[in-house]
Amino acid sequence: MLPRACIAGRKGVVFDLTKYEMSDTNAPVFANPLREGLLSRALAEPCSLVIFGATGDLTHRKLIPALYNLNSDGNLPPALSVVGFARRDKSDEQFRGELLEAAEKFSRQKINPELWDGFASRISYHRSEFNNVEGYHELARRLDEMDKTHGTRGNRLFYLAAGPDQFETILNNLRESGLNIAPEGGWARVIVEKPFGTDHPSAVALNSLVEHAFHERDTYRIDHYLGKETAQNIMVLRFANAIFEHLWNSRYVDHVQITASEPLGVEGRAGYYDKSGAMRDMVQNHLLQLLCLTAMEPPTDLSADAIRDEKVKVLRSLRKIEGADVAKYAVRAQYSAGTVNGKRVAAYLDEQNIPLESETETFVALELRVENWRWAGVPFFMRVGKRLPKAATEIALHFKGAPPVLFNQTGGTQSSLDDNVLVIRIQPDEGVSLRMSAKLPGTSLRIEPVKMDFHYGTSFGRPTPEAYERLLLDAMAGDATLFARRDEVEEAWKFVDAIRAGWESGKDKLAFYRSGSWGPSEADALIERAGATWRRL
Amino acid sequence: MSTTDTLAISPGLPVEIGRIDKELGKLWESGDDSKTRASLINLVIYTESAESVAANTDLISRIASDHACRAILIFANPSAPEPAARAWISAHCHSTGKGSSQICSEQITFQLDGQTSAAVPNVVFSHLDSDLPLCFWWQGDFPVDPDENLWSWVDRLIFDSQTWMEPSIQFDRVCGISHLARSRRVLCDLNWTRLLTARFALANIFDHSSVLVDLPNLRDLSVTHAPGARTTGILLVGWLAAQLGWKLESVLGSHCFRDKNNNEIRFHLREVEGASISRVEFNSPTMEILLNREANSDFFHAVIRGQSIPEFTQILPAGRDSLREHLLMELSRGGLHPLYAKALKAIRPLLGAE
Repeated sequence: MLPRACIAGRKGVVFDLTKYEMSDTNAPVFANPLREGLLSRALAEPCSLVIFGATGDLTHRKLIPALYNLNSDGNLPPALSVVGFARRDKSDEQFRGELLEAAEKFSRQKINPELWDGFASRISYHRSEFNNVEGYHELARRLDEMDKTHGTRGNRLFYLAAGPDQFETILNNLRESGLNIAPEGGWARVIVEKPFGTDHPSAVALNSLVEHAFHERDTYRIDHYLGKETAQNIMVLRFANAIFEHLWNSRYVDHVQITASEPLGVEGRAGYYDKSGAMRDMVQNHLLQLLCLTAMEPPTDLSADAIRDEKVKVLRSLRKIEGADVAKYAVRAQYSAGTVNGKRVAAYLDEQNIPLESETETFVALELRVENWRWAGVPFFMRVGKRLPKAATEIALHFKGAPPVLFNQTGGTQSSLDDNVLVIRIQPDEGVSLRMSAKLPGTSLRIEPVKMDFHYGTSFGRPTPEAYERLLLDAMAGDATLFARRDEVEEAWKFVDAIRAGWESGKDKLAFYRSGSWGPSEADALIERAGATWRRL
Repeated sequence: MSTTDTLAISPGLPVEIGRIDKELGKLWESGDDSKTRASLINLVIYTESAESVAANTDLISRIASDHACRAILIFANPSAPEPAARAWISAHCHSTGKGSSQICSEQITFQLDGQTSAAVPNVVFSHLDSDLPLCFWWQGDFPVDPDENLWSWVDRLIFDSQTWMEPSIQFDRVCGISHLARSRRVLCDLNWTRLLTARFALANIFDHSSVLVDLPNLRDLSVTHAPGARTTGILLVGWLAAQLGWKLESVLGSHCFRDKNNNEIRFHLREVEGASISRVEFNSPTMEILLNREANSDFFHAVIRGQSIPEFTQILPAGRDSLREHLLMELSRGGLHPLYAKALKAIRPLLGAE
C-alpha cells in the first residue's frame, strides 16, 4: 500500500505528490488512473506549441483549424498554449481575429463561439524577425512564464511552417537561444514541413542542421499523406487480414500501379512549383511513402522505429534508375493547353510567373522495381500529374490471371478474363475495392467483372479527421510513427536525384500532354511494354 | 401492456414471414441504380411496448444514416390471447452527399402475439445478415430464465439500466446472461455509454499535472443526476471508486468509501432536473473541482480552484444526451468494456438502496 499522498510513478518509483506546484517542471508525470480505457493511443502531453510562420497559409488553412477541431473533440491536453511567431506587427487580439476568420472557412466542424473563445485564450502572438536572436530570447522568457501560469511543464513543440529558406535561420536561433533544450523534465521537439531539401545533398545539409539543434527522436518530418486514414489503413488491410498477406508478393501480384492525379494547375504556387516539379513535389515524399507502405515487410511491432525500419528497407531495395535507364523507365512531361472540367485552361508555360523556357515536369510516370525476395520481377508503376481529368490518389494491386484453362481461354467463344484488382483509394472517396469475375445470369456462359467496394464515408458515418489533426496530436504525444525519419528522407532523395540527373543531362526530352488528358503517349508506352495499361480512374 | 396492444402505424410493407427474403429482394430490384444496400451489423431491437415501435423505427432510420445495418425490430406481445405473427419490411435510404447516390439499410419488423412471442430466437436467426456481428438491444426488463439458445449468439448485448425499476434484480439477470456459453459477448449498458463524455471530461481535468497530484487527496464527492437517472449517478461513482481504489463501507444504512490509506471519502447523490449528469464536485483539503453542465448545453464547464494554483476553467465536450447519440457512440466505439464490470462491482450494494 502506498503512503498518503504518494503514488507510483512510471517506473514504480514512489513520489511525494504534495510538494509539486504547477510551475514545477520536475514534478513526476504519472499515469492518470481516470484515463484507463478512454484512449487507445498515446496521450498528448501539455506543451507550448510555437508556430514559425504563423501568418502564413499553412497556419490559417490547416494548423489552427486542426487544433480547433482537436479542442472541440476534447483531445487537446488541458495545458496547451499556442504561440504564433512571425514578422508582421500585430496584437494578440488581431492575430486571434484573423485565425477565427480562417477557422470559420477551413474548419471541418462549425465554429462554436464559446468554444472558440476558450481555445483562442490559449493563443498569443510573438512578433520577431526570424533572424533576430533577441526575439528568441524573449520567446524563451515568455515560454518560461507560460510554464508557470499554464502548466505546460517546460514542454515545447516548434512547428516550422515558414518557407524552407528560413529553416536554417530559425533552427540556428533556436539553438543559439537555448530553446532547443527543454528545462529538466520537459521536452523540446521540432516539426519540419516538407520540402525536406531539394536534393540529396541539401536534405543531408538540412538534416544535419536539424540534428545540430534537435535529437532525431525529437524531430518530426511531416508528410501529411501519412496522416490520412487510408494511408494508415494500408498496414491494417495488409497485416490484420490474413487473406491478403499471403497473396501480397511476386507469386500472385502481376504489377502495382500508384496514381496521384489532380485537375488543378499550379494555382498561385508558380514560384515554388517551377523550381520543384512533380518529382520533388510529389514523388520524393508522398508517392514513395505510399510505395513503402505497400511493399514493406511486416514490422516486428508497431513502434515508430520498427515501422520506419521496414520502410527504409524498401527504399534501399529500389533499383536505381540512372544513365540510359532514365529514358527507359521514367517519363516526364508538361501540360499544354486543353480542357479540364469543361473549362479551357492554359498551357503550363502560359501560366503566370512561369518562365517561357521552363522545362519543369508537371507529370511523371515511372516503372520501379523493388529488388527483394517478395517483389522480384514485379513492376511498380507510378504516375503523378497536374491538369489530369480528375483528382484521385490510389494504389492498385493487379493480380496475375487465373490459369488459361476453363474460363480463361483466349480465342474461341470465351474472351480472356479481367485480372483481379485490389484498389486502395487514398483520396477522395477513401476506401478499398476488389474487382473479380462473375457469371452473367443467363443460359449462356458469359463472365463480367464486378466490384466489391468498401467506402469509408458511407460505412462508418463519422467524419474523418484531417491528417493534420492526427499528426499534431502524435507530435504532442511523442509518437513519430507517421513522420518520416532522416534515413527515409535521404534514401528517397538518392533515388529521385539519379533520375533527375538523367533528365538534366539533356538526353531525355520533355514530353507534352494536353490538359484534361491522362498524360503523354510516352507514359502509355512505358506501361504497355510490360503488357499492362494504366487504370482508367 | 394490455392484451389488445397492436401497432398504431404500419412500420412498412406487410409481408408473409416466409417470403421476407424474396420481398426484400424485390425491394432492391424495383429500385434504381442510385441506391446501394449496405450493412455493417445486424441490429436487433426487442420491445414489449407497441408505442415504442414508431420511435424505434425512427431511431433506426437515424442510426442507419451513420451506421448501415440490417435492423430487426421485434414487438412481442406475450399476453395477447391468440398466437399470431406478422411482419413488415422497409428501407431507410440516406444521401451520401455525392450526386444522387443513396445508401440504404433494411428493416424487418415483427409483431409476435401470445405464444409466438417465444419464437424470438427463430425469428432472429432466420433473418440475420450472415457473418456480420449481432448487436441485440433488449428494451425493458430481462426474463427470469434466459434463453441460452438466443443469448449465446449475441455479440453485443445492449440495454439501458437507466430505465430499470429494479436495477439490482436486473443487473443480476444480465450478469447471468453474460455467463452463458459464449465468451465473445460484450455487455453494452447505454447508461455506461451515457457517462462516456463525463468520464472523458473528468479524466481531462486530471490530465493537468497540478490537479492530478491532488487525486489521492479527494475527500468529498457530489454527483447531481436527473430524476430517474440515479443508476447513472451511481455508475459514475462506481467508476471513480474502481479507478481510484476506493472501497465501499456501509454502516447502519449509510455509505462512504475508504481509500487505500483508510481515509474516508464522503459522497452524495442529488437529483435535479437537467442532463443525466449535470454536476460533479470534488473537494480535497487543498482543491475544489467542479464540472457543470447547463440544461441543453453540449459542453461541460470545469472550474478548478486550488491553494497553490490560480483558478482556471475548461470547456469540454458533453455531446447530446439522447438515445440516438448514445447508441451511435456505442456502435462506433466497439471494443470490450472491462471497466464497466469493475465499476459495477464497486457500487453493487448501492443499487438496491435509495
